[in-house]
Amino acid sequence: MGRFLLKRFVVAIVTLWLLSVIVFVSAQILPGDVGRRILGPFAAPQAVAALNKQLGTDRSIFVQYGDWMGGVIHGDLGKSLSQNQPVGHLVWDGLKNSAKLAAVAFILVVPLGIFGGVVAALNEGRFLDRLISVSGLSAIAIPEFVSAIVVILVFSLWFGLLPVTAQAPPGAGFFTVLKYLILPALPLVLVLFGYIARMARAGTIEALDADYTRTAVLKGLPRRTVIRRHVLRNALLPTIAVVATQTGYLIGGLVVIELIFNYQGIGQLIFRAAQQKDFPLLESGVLIVGVVYLVATLLADVAYSLLNPRIRYASAE
Amino acid sequence: MDETQRRVDEIRKQRSELENHLIDEYAAGKITRAEFIRRGTVVGMSIPLVSFIAAACGGGGGGTAAGTTGGGGKPKAGGTIRTGIIAPAASLDPIKVADEGGLAVLGQSGEYLNWSDSKLHLQPRLAESWSPNDDGSVWTFKIRQGVKFNDGTPMTAKDVAATIDTHADPANGSNALSVFTGVLSKGNTKAVDDSTVEVTLDAPNGNFPYLVSSDNYNLIILPAGFDMASWDKSFLGTGPWKLEKYTPNQGVSYVKNPNYWDTNRQPLPDRSEVKFYKDEQARVLAIQGGQVDVVSNFSVAGGKALLTDPSINVIEIRASQHREMHMRTDQDPFTDKRVRQAVALLIDRQALVQGLFEGKADLGNDSPFAPVFPSTDTSVAQREQDVDKAKQLLAEAGKGSGFQIELRTWNGFEIPQLAQLVQDALKQANISVKLNITDPGTYYGDAVFGKSPWLDSTFGITDYGHRGVPNVFLTAPLTSKGPWNSAHFKNPTYDGLVADYVAALDVDAQKQVAKKIEELLLDETPIVFPYFYFHLAAEKNTFTGAEPTGMGHIDVSQAGSTG
Repeated sequence: MGRFLLKRFVVAIVTLWLLSVIVFVSAQILPGDVGRRILGPFAAPQAVAALNKQLGTDRSIFVQYGDWMGGVIHGDLGKSLSQNQPVGHLVWDGLKNSAKLAAVAFILVVPLGIFGGVVAALNEGRFLDRLISVSGLSAIAIPEFVSAIVVILVFSLWFGLLPVTAQAPPGAGFFTVLKYLILPALPLVLVLFGYIARMARAGTIEALDADYTRTAVLKGLPRRTVIRRHVLRNALLPTIAVVATQTGYLIGGLVVIELIFNYQGIGQLIFRAAQQKDFPLLESGVLIVGVVYLVATLLADVAYSLLNPRIRYASAE
Repeated sequence: MDETQRRVDEIRKQRSELENHLIDEYAAGKITRAEFIRRGTVVGMSIPLVSFIAAACGGGGGGTAAGTTGGGGKPKAGGTIRTGIIAPAASLDPIKVADEGGLAVLGQSGEYLNWSDSKLHLQPRLAESWSPNDDGSVWTFKIRQGVKFNDGTPMTAKDVAATIDTHADPANGSNALSVFTGVLSKGNTKAVDDSTVEVTLDAPNGNFPYLVSSDNYNLIILPAGFDMASWDKSFLGTGPWKLEKYTPNQGVSYVKNPNYWDTNRQPLPDRSEVKFYKDEQARVLAIQGGQVDVVSNFSVAGGKALLTDPSINVIEIRASQHREMHMRTDQDPFTDKRVRQAVALLIDRQALVQGLFEGKADLGNDSPFAPVFPSTDTSVAQREQDVDKAKQLLAEAGKGSGFQIELRTWNGFEIPQLAQLVQDALKQANISVKLNITDPGTYYGDAVFGKSPWLDSTFGITDYGHRGVPNVFLTAPLTSKGPWNSAHFKNPTYDGLVADYVAALDVDAQKQVAKKIEELLLDETPIVFPYFYFHLAAEKNTFTGAEPTGMGHIDVSQAGSTG
């Protein structure tokens, strides 16, 4: 296990470094300089030059990258060029918010998706199966900005049940925060339900066909026990993979949802940093999302191996 | 009436030649009451004085110089007012702020020498009055005494002079330099005594008080030697509000400033919450869903729902914000002015204003003189769609069979729809337009000639925000050396007329020059100005008293619930 983790760690560091290089290179393609981005097209050239000097963005971009990288190695993510705040602060706040929203979405969608998938599998080929599969697929196809507006119209403006914005007032308690996050989580539930249900359905059908299930049935175990002990457990495995890969999307990829619900997640933060060529904020934000993604996949691998005795880290080497 | 006449005579003895000229014009019926009030405040007469003379000489009653507010009923004091504004684009540093969100925040706890209100009248704030010398090259401001910053320190004439000078110094890189360049240089603003600030300009300028008003939104008055970059720690200023808590990216909450000087304008609400919304949709939904009481800005395109929502009062302000469609006068096919005129004649402006703004815009007449500016000569005939004339002009220019052209612009506001409508309109004369619509960063590029599609493209559409006076619109995009001259328009006659306009001290003289400029630009047509659209704000119909400006400021200090 130790060697396995060490290996993963080294790979992770290299991946993150490559990620920072890719972001660095692509940021250079964006036209205009930071001072111009902050002050806008109509500012006087002297003002732009003075601001770039003040921010240090008049220096070579390689020097800036080296500067930032040096800081990161020492645990300092630098200062945001556009916002005059430490990057660490901004990214941490954004990450916390994104994690809250992702958690609410997962808590809603994972049980729902697995339940839907298993029900569909048990009714394979019948009406209920078709209904679940088709509605899941259709939900994936609805863009978030459409479903977001629909849920706002229905739940906030018509029935007045839930607040329009996702950001709870400062100092709000757990349940208030939850109340504010349900609405923005709903479009995500719609997107993810189809994925999870499909994976759970496929896993269940496979497990139902497996030899061990047949053995269990032949042993004379009641159907309910067979499903709970043997089928469900195996059906969960592919679901974990989906959940892990969607973490990257839920944390860092929700620009549209965050904008519509005016939520200060990390997706919005990175989006704005890219628009303003705020290099330290952009790099650090992407890097943190990368870390989250890597950690999520690692946890998924570990969970996978724990749930599935056939896969052992030893054999992976 | 004798008594009134005696008092008017008495007043006139004390006023400058310029002010008396204005009074003469008004008494002779040459300018309207509204214009008299506006010009009077510009040349430094106080509102009560102007109102008195307006009543005495014009004989008309009623009317007020103050900005109007929407809604009915009287606002009640107390409680918290919640306002949704556009999220500031960058850090809240008074030197750097260059966007509507940022200026809306500066204007809450900060104050200017004077306030350019929703009718483009100047209301005295930290300056009690102001007056020019004979040619308008030196302006003297009388600074209000007894004003304190919200941390308790007194505000002095020295602070005013230092603030203005800081923004005029190129080394500081202030966003205000785009206004001050060629107008005011570093070191020319001096505190003559405790209550007087004297500003010596690079050239005569009849509209200078506007350039240090809320129209130049970086210019909130701060103490001499204040570290601007640290402003977001204190939100220092002399305005009605004092910082309670600032949460970056989310919003600011304020309490009343206990030191606020203006006894007539003490804040009605106990607290004010200003919430940041990056997305217009979110802002519109927030007021519909009751998360805020006021929104400072929405567009017809993004906020149609508010226009028809019975629970919302829409506050409409005529403004000078507009789009400019430039045609490079030095590049084929636009080197021939008949081709440029033809393009302008193919466009149906009425249809644009209806289709894009539901009528909430003024028609443009291919010059920066928006109908809202008092100096605009509205007697110049409005250019209307005339397809036959356009075809004829194109034929005369040898382009009767049409041509192909790329139209560059960016993806924001109603601009993409405008570009499509232009594309359709030009088809009428076989002009095939290829749209090239990118993100704003790509369109503006480095914002210097040679490195910016905005300034280099043959044909393009650019967005311009509101200004209280047309000076910047006249100079930057149109004069030979203008830094935003996308049309590459170089016309010495025009340059001379603009210099005359800028130096003109009274509205009569300004209007005379304006007429010439309008006619010259209609003939040359380097830029199509299709419309000037209104600024829209909204308040819940249970609220009243929010005062937005065309610039994007929102004053909620006199607002409150009516219920």
